[in-house]
Amino acid sequence: MTTQAAPLVSQQRAPLSGLWTALRIFWLGVSRNRAGFIGFLGIVFYIIVVIFGPIVVPFDNEVKLDEIAAPPGTRIQLMTRSENVNTYTTLESLNGKVVGVIGNTGGPKLVEPYEDTFEVEEYRWQAGRGIDRALEELMDGDIDALVIFSQTVKDYIDEPEQAGNQNLYTNLAISNPALGPAHLLGTDTQGRDIFSHIMNGGASLIFTALLAGLFSTIIAFSLGAFAALIGGVVDRTLTAIANFVLVIPRFPLLVVLAAFVQLNNFILLATLIALLSWPSLMRAVRSQVLSLRERDYVEAAVALDLGRWHIMTREILPNMISFVAINLIFAVTGAMYEQVGLIFLGMAPINDYNWGVMLYFGRSRGTLFNPDSAMMVLAPVLAIAFFQVSMVMFARALEEIFNPRLRSSL
Amino acid sequence: MATRSSPVSSASSIEISLLDRILDRWQKINSNYVVRTIIQALITVWAVITFTFFLIRLMPGNPIQVYVAQLMNAESITYEEAYGRAAAQFRFDFNASPVEQYFDYLGNLLRLDLGDSIISVGTPVISQIMRFLPWTLFSAGLGLLVSFVTGFVLGMLMAYYRNSPLDHILSFISSLMSAVPNYIWGLMIMVVFGVQLQWFSVGDLRGTYDPRLTPAFTPEFIFDIFKHALLPVITYVLGTVGSWMLSTKSSTVSVLGEDYVNVAEARGLSERRILTAYVGRNAALPLFTLLAISIGFVIGGSVLIESLFVYNGLGNFLFQSITGRDYTSMQGVFLFITFSVVLSNLLADLLYARLDPRIRVSGEK
Repeated sequence: MTTQAAPLVSQQRAPLSGLWTALRIFWLGVSRNRAGFIGFLGIVFYIIVVIFGPIVVPFDNEVKLDEIAAPPGTRIQLMTRSENVNTYTTLESLNGKVVGVIGNTGGPKLVEPYEDTFEVEEYRWQAGRGIDRALEELMDGDIDALVIFSQTVKDYIDEPEQAGNQNLYTNLAISNPALGPAHLLGTDTQGRDIFSHIMNGGASLIFTALLAGLFSTIIAFSLGAFAALIGGVVDRTLTAIANFVLVIPRFPLLVVLAAFVQLNNFILLATLIALLSWPSLMRAVRSQVLSLRERDYVEAAVALDLGRWHIMTREILPNMISFVAINLIFAVTGAMYEQVGLIFLGMAPINDYNWGVMLYFGRSRGTLFNPDSAMMVLAPVLAIAFFQVSMVMFARALEEIFNPRLRSSL
Repeated sequence: MATRSSPVSSASSIEISLLDRILDRWQKINSNYVVRTIIQALITVWAVITFTFFLIRLMPGNPIQVYVAQLMNAESITYEEAYGRAAAQFRFDFNASPVEQYFDYLGNLLRLDLGDSIISVGTPVISQIMRFLPWTLFSAGLGLLVSFVTGFVLGMLMAYYRNSPLDHILSFISSLMSAVPNYIWGLMIMVVFGVQLQWFSVGDLRGTYDPRLTPAFTPEFIFDIFKHALLPVITYVLGTVGSWMLSTKSSTVSVLGEDYVNVAEARGLSERRILTAYVGRNAALPLFTLLAISIGFVIGGSVLIESLFVYNGLGNFLFQSITGRDYTSMQGVFLFITFSVVLSNLLADLLYARLDPRIRVSGEK
């Protein structure tokens, strides 16, 4: 008996050595699995961005324009009559002349540095009517040049039905002085650098998603293991509760709750998401623990009367580490989905400027439909999409590595 | 003593036999899969209704309190007046005890009386819901169907040609598609194809049909309905097809290893017959349990997708009523979305039992 009991007692080092083995298998597997390796690199990349992004690229909060977004590398264009096309080639050459700008496309800010040298005439966009008037006055010689900044305005002028434009030329394409050097991803509706927002806008989202995933995994594991080990009424009650929560449409409930619970605290948001997302994992954990409980070494531990806590933490949990890790990742992506969805709908007024808030502004300010400002939406969209893809690729690779049965069959 | 004790014992024995009979009847009912599933669905619906009652009525800072405070502020009326107005709109008798209120609430729900909309004054919430519900069922249902069929066919292909380049490419694509949130797909479609490439006009595709057309069974109108549902449906498909592909592949792979498939091959049955009658049918079975989860996910996601594309379904209506603080509509829509999900789950379960006799026969898992 004693000789048999000895190895079981020495298994007290099992959690750490189990972790170590898991890490070694993980590295062997990940370095061979191409998609998993890409996912792994993606996650490392995101970690680097979240930690060092804010240091390298500080958040650009300086409002430079009024209502216009500037696409990447935006340049201003200058429109003149054909006879002046070779005279007015820079803003400096317009010294003492009258220059028209489209008022609500950020034009005034744009020509601000030159206001001492030339006279500025402002026009409103007014669904194209303002432009029509500006073009007319340019033809009549009331103004000498017209500054065009927005792609929408340019497209309008370039339309074939704009009669008389043949005599007008857009001849100048210079870097936008108000915006400084061309921005990697352009600027948002206030002339702020989108790239800096991308670099700074991930930390809080990823942190909240991690927190929610962690909470949900902890709840699922404790309840699942508890139900499986205790059994009986407790098991049936917990399973019934899980089935009930599972069937409630999670996102609509979150949206409804957000209507009268202020979700501006990310810990509260994470908790709420976790409270609604544990059931499916809990059921999986329950059946895992039930099957692990039938293993010989667990039965041996039960026979030795090592206690439930010991059996749970020393015998069962070490064998579920990969399962925990995989499901944690899936829980994080689920939390990210719900969190960004809530922010996008404007239901979770979180106080910092993250990718979700960028999407929200992208829609609420109508920039979603403005061809000039695609990057304001596309940049956070891609940032979120690649985060989710990296996480899922990585989790699927882990699944294949740690579940050899799956690996051979897939 | 003996004469006295006999009626007591006989009474108790009657009671026991009655209890026994009830238990026995219950066991019989419970062992019937269909009945058990329906009872479970009913209990779930009841629990959701009760939960909503607590949420709307009894939770601190609940919608009714918020609404009363809003009324008092906006129209400078007394607390009683505001309370009376709220009571009428929510169909609550505020003088009654919470228990009576609860039973009133249940009764109203049974009569499908969900109160009056706060924003559209005088319109019952149920008529609003009936206006929007069909569109959500149509678009979400179509999306699920298309994504299931596509995912199933592609997943079978992946399983048949496993470890070929085709399998690797499709596996990669399906992982990628299932990872990206559906509203992110929607935003990408909108910004890239709608606004940048201008393949379609975002404005024209809003709503459920062109308001200039009169609803009728004309080819023109039906075409228009499909046109307007196109963007939400594509988004639902992109968001769910990846997971269908992956689950079909794994279930098909496990079926391909079964003895009956080998036997069918040995018997020299045609490839086509093996594919449909032996592999396809059995591979599809486990997917029906996933269908239930998928239905909830798609209908839940409709809040995001419909409000993004301004498609006038239940999801968009929920969004509108929340931004407009229309609490009665909010409550009604939430209940209805939950009912639809529970009902769809029930149908999926029953369908599953119809297709797989093993489920029906085994009383308990």
